[in-house]
Amino acid sequence: MQPAPSAEPAAPNRPKVGLFATCLVDLFRPNVGFAAVELLEAAGCDVDAPEGQTCCGQPAWNSGDRKGAAEVARRMIEVFEPYDYVVLPSGSCGATVKKDYVEILRDDSDWLPRAQALSDKTFELITFLTEIRGVEGVNAQFDGVVTYHDSCSGLRSLGVKDQPRQLLSSVDGLRLREMEDAEVCCGFGGTFCVKYPDISNRMVSNKTDNIAATSADLVLAGDLGCLMNMAGKLSRQGRPVKARHVAEILAGMTDEPAIGEPQRGSEKRK
Amino acid sequence: MTAEPKSSQFKSAASEALQNPRLQAAMKASGGLAVRRAAAIAEIPEFEAIRDAGRDLKNHTLANLDAYLLAFEEKALESGAKVHWAADAEEARAIILKIVGRHAKGPEGKARVNKGKSMISEEIGLNSALEAAGHHVLETDLGEYIIQLRGEPPSHIIAPAAHVSKPDVEADFRAAHTHLDPERTFPDAASLVHEARHVLREQYFGADVGITGANMLIAETGQGVIVTNEGNGDLSQILPDVHIAVASLEKVIPTLDDASTILRLLARSATGQSLSSYTTFYKGARRQGDLDGPKEMHFVLLDNGRSEMLAGEFREMLRCIRCGACMNNCPVYRAVGGHSYGWVYVGPMGSVLTPNFVGIKEGRHLPNASTFCGRCQEVCPVRIPLPGLMRKLREAEFEQKLSPQTARYGLGVWRWFAKRPALYHRMSSIGMRALNWLSGGHGRLKRLPFGGGWTAHRDFPAPAKRTFMAEWKARKAAKSQGDDQ
Amino acid sequence: MSARDKILSKLRAALDEGDATVKARSAAAQARIRTAKQTGPIPKIARTDGMDRVNQFVERAEAVQATVRRIATIEELPGAVSDELRRRNLPAALRMGDDAMLASLDWGAVETSVGPGRLEEPVTLTAAVGGVSETGTLVFRSGPDAPSSLNFLGEAHFVVLRARDIEAGLEGLWRKFRDSGADPRTVNLITGPSRTGDIEQKIELGAHGPVALQIFLIDDY
Repeated sequence: MQPAPSAEPAAPNRPKVGLFATCLVDLFRPNVGFAAVELLEAAGCDVDAPEGQTCCGQPAWNSGDRKGAAEVARRMIEVFEPYDYVVLPSGSCGATVKKDYVEILRDDSDWLPRAQALSDKTFELITFLTEIRGVEGVNAQFDGVVTYHDSCSGLRSLGVKDQPRQLLSSVDGLRLREMEDAEVCCGFGGTFCVKYPDISNRMVSNKTDNIAATSADLVLAGDLGCLMNMAGKLSRQGRPVKARHVAEILAGMTDEPAIGEPQRGSEKRK
Repeated sequence: MTAEPKSSQFKSAASEALQNPRLQAAMKASGGLAVRRAAAIAEIPEFEAIRDAGRDLKNHTLANLDAYLLAFEEKALESGAKVHWAADAEEARAIILKIVGRHAKGPEGKARVNKGKSMISEEIGLNSALEAAGHHVLETDLGEYIIQLRGEPPSHIIAPAAHVSKPDVEADFRAAHTHLDPERTFPDAASLVHEARHVLREQYFGADVGITGANMLIAETGQGVIVTNEGNGDLSQILPDVHIAVASLEKVIPTLDDASTILRLLARSATGQSLSSYTTFYKGARRQGDLDGPKEMHFVLLDNGRSEMLAGEFREMLRCIRCGACMNNCPVYRAVGGHSYGWVYVGPMGSVLTPNFVGIKEGRHLPNASTFCGRCQEVCPVRIPLPGLMRKLREAEFEQKLSPQTARYGLGVWRWFAKRPALYHRMSSIGMRALNWLSGGHGRLKRLPFGGGWTAHRDFPAPAKRTFMAEWKARKAAKSQGDDQ
Repeated sequence: MSARDKILSKLRAALDEGDATVKARSAAAQARIRTAKQTGPIPKIARTDGMDRVNQFVERAEAVQATVRRIATIEELPGAVSDELRRRNLPAALRMGDDAMLASLDWGAVETSVGPGRLEEPVTLTAAVGGVSETGTLVFRSGPDAPSSLNFLGEAHFVVLRARDIEAGLEGLWRKFRDSGADPRTVNLITGPSRTGDIEQKIELGAHGPVALQIFLIDDY
C-alpha cells in the first residue's frame, strides 16, 4: 500500500482510515466530521481527511449524468486509494462509493478494479465501528429521549439498522423511543426535495408527525441530508424536537447547537 | 394509439392531488395493503428464497421467450383455443373488434361485452375502441365498474378505485342505478357491494363476449390463468359464448410447478392473502357434454413494446407480475395517488414502464419523482431493481438532453468544481460563509436566494462559519506545529 | 410478414447471442417442460402430512372465512346439508351437477335440481376433487357432471371434500393431474368465499361469487 502524501505514518496495528466527510458535513455540520474522528480514534484508528476530497458524485449519478459521475468517482478513488479503510458518516454517500462506483465505472476496464478495491474497504461510519472495529459501546452521556430515523440508502443498500441502536443503547441516560414508520423515507432525496417540493413536503410532514408522536427530545439519523430536511420542517412547524447526527451523540459532542439551532450560546434543553 | 398519456403533467397533477382532501382520505384508507402484505410474508420464513426462485424463473423464461411462446401456442391450439399475435395496440384492437363483431347478437351488429379487470386492455385503449364501434362494454370488477361509471382510468393496478371514497361511490351508484329506490340508504360498504352484486348479476347472463386478461400462460399445458377475489373474471369468461383472453408476451411461464412459485408470491405481495379467492386454470373451448364455458376461446398475445424491452436495458422490468406491492409501499404514490402518473401503469413500476411505452419525453417526470428510497425494490416479489431502472431512464433523459436546462447547467458547474478540490474548497467556503452571514446567527434561513422549493415548506439549516475541511486543515497544522516544538 | 413472424423475429433478434440460438432455446424450454419439476423452494406449510395436513387445511380455510363441518362418511352428507340449510335459514333446495356420487345419495326432503348455475341460485353443491392444505384451498375440475358456473353462482356454495384428497401443497395437485392424465377444461382453485376490497379497502364478502363457502369434510383420512 502506498502511503498517502498527506497521511501521517500509521502506528503499528492502527489502521489508517481516510475520512470522507461528505460535502454536506463539510459545509453544514463540521461537528459530525469531528465526531467521526473522535469515534474512529477511540476505536483505535489513525484518521486523516485527505484534502483532495470533494463530493462522492451522487448528484451527477442520480441525475443520469454517468460521465460526470465517473469523472468525480475517478478523482475520489485516487484520493482515497492510499488508506486501509475509507469511512463516511453517511449511508447515502457511503452507498455511492461502496455500491455505485463499480456500476458507474462498469465499462472502464482500467478503473473498474480500482473501484472494486475501494468498495471493499469503504464503510459507513457506524457499521465500520461495530462490524470492523468490534465496538460494542461508547463512553458518552445524553440525558433525554431520542428517536431514530432509518435513512433509506444506509438501511437498504448497506444494512444499517441495528448497529446505531446497539451503540445508542450504551449511551448513559439515553432512552430510545421508536417512531412509527421509522423506515419510511423522509422525502429528502437530494434534488428531489427542490424538484418536487409539494410531494417532498407531504413526506417530511408525515415524518415530523411521527417524530412528534414519540415526544422525543431529539431525532437522530446517520445522514445529514435527511437531518437537514427533518430539522428544517420541525423548525418551520415550531416543534420543540431537535435534530442531530447519531455520531454527535455517540461521541458526546453535543456542545455544538443542534442542527438549525442558533449558533451562539449553549443549547437550551427542556 | 394506446391510451392517451398525460404523464408530462405529473407535477401539477401531483400538486392538485395533494390538495384534494377526498383523495387524501381515500389514499389513507388504502394503507392497509402494505400492512397486510408484511403480515402475510412474516408467516412463511421461506419467502426470500421463493422471491429468488421467482426472479430466476422469470429470467429463464425471458431468456427463452420465443421458445416458450411457441410451446404455449402449440398446446393452446391443441386444446381448441385460437391464438392471435398482435405486434401493437392497434393490431390487438383490430383482432378483438373483429371477433366481437362476429358474435354480436344485438341489433345492427352491436355486442354486449363483459370484461374482467385487465391492465392490458387499458394499455391498448380497448374500451373506447369497442364503444366507438357501438358495442356495449361492462366492467365487472367492482373497482373497474366504479371507475367506468365515473369515466376515469384506474389509479392502481389491483385496486383500480383506490382513489374513490365511499361517499363518491354512493353518489355514482345513485346516478347510475336509477331503476332502484331513490330513498334507499347505504349505511356501509357492504350495502354498496350488495347493490353492485345485484345489478351486475343480471348482466352476466346477457353478454355475447367475455374479455379478460391473464395472470399467466402455461407453456406446458396451453392454459391461461386468471386470479381474482370477486369471481367476476370467471363469470365473465364462462357465461358468454366467446371468451377472449388478452395477455402480453411476458405472461408465459414454463410449467404448472412454476405457477406454484408465482402464486406463492403474487397474492401475498398484492393483498396479503396466501392465495386469492379464485385462481382458475382454463384451456380451450367448452367440450362435448359441457353445460357451460365459452363455445369459442381466443388468446391474443400482445407485444406492444415488450420485444424492445427484452432487447434493451429494461428486460428486468418484464419480470413484473403486476402485484402492486411497489405502489402500496411507495411514499410518493401514497402521497399523490395513481392518476397523477397520467397513464395506465402507476407507482414505481409505472415510472419504469410508462416512459418505455409513451416515450422518455412524455414520461420524464416519473423516474425523476423518486427519492430512490429503495422500498419498491425491497418489496418486489421478483426483485426488479426499480430504482436502478429509473436511474437508467434518467440517464437516457440526460443523454438525449431532455432534462431542464437549468439543472444541466447547475450540474455542469458542480462537476467542474468537484474535480478541482482546491477551487472547490475555496468557493464552497465563500458560499457557505455568505449563507451563514445571511442567517444572522439564527442557525437557519426562512428563505434562500435560490432553492425556494426548499424554503417554501421548511427552514434551511444555516451552514457552518467554517467548513470541516478548513477547520481540519487548521487543526492539523496546529497539531503538527505542536509536535515540532 | 404476419404479426406472428414479426414478433418472433424481433424476439429472436433480442435473444440470439452466441450459443443462445433458436434451437438451443427450444431445447432448453422443452427440457424444462418435460421434467416439469418444482424449481422454487416448497415452504414448510406446504409440506404437512397425516392429520396435521387435514387440520391445517381446516385452519387455513377457516382463516379465509370458509366454514367447515366434519362428517364421518359420504352417507352423512344429506343430513348435514339439510341441517346446514335450516341453520342458515335457506330454502331446502340444492342445485348440483349431474354427479353420480351426489345423485346416489338419499336427499330426503331436500329438493335437488341438476344443471349449470342460474341467475337466482340460493345454494349450489359441488364436489371438490382435491384440497390444498397450504392455503385451505378447494380444487374443482369442470366436466359434463361438473359445470364450473355452479362454483360461482350460488349465494351459498356448499362443497363436499374427502380428507384423503387433501394435498400438502400445490405440487401434489399438479402431480395428481399429471399422473391421472386428467386434462379438464377448467380447474378452479377456490380459497374462501368471494370478496372485494374495492370500496375503501374494506374487505366485504360476496362481491360477485358466493357470500358463504361451506365445506363438508369427510374424515376418511
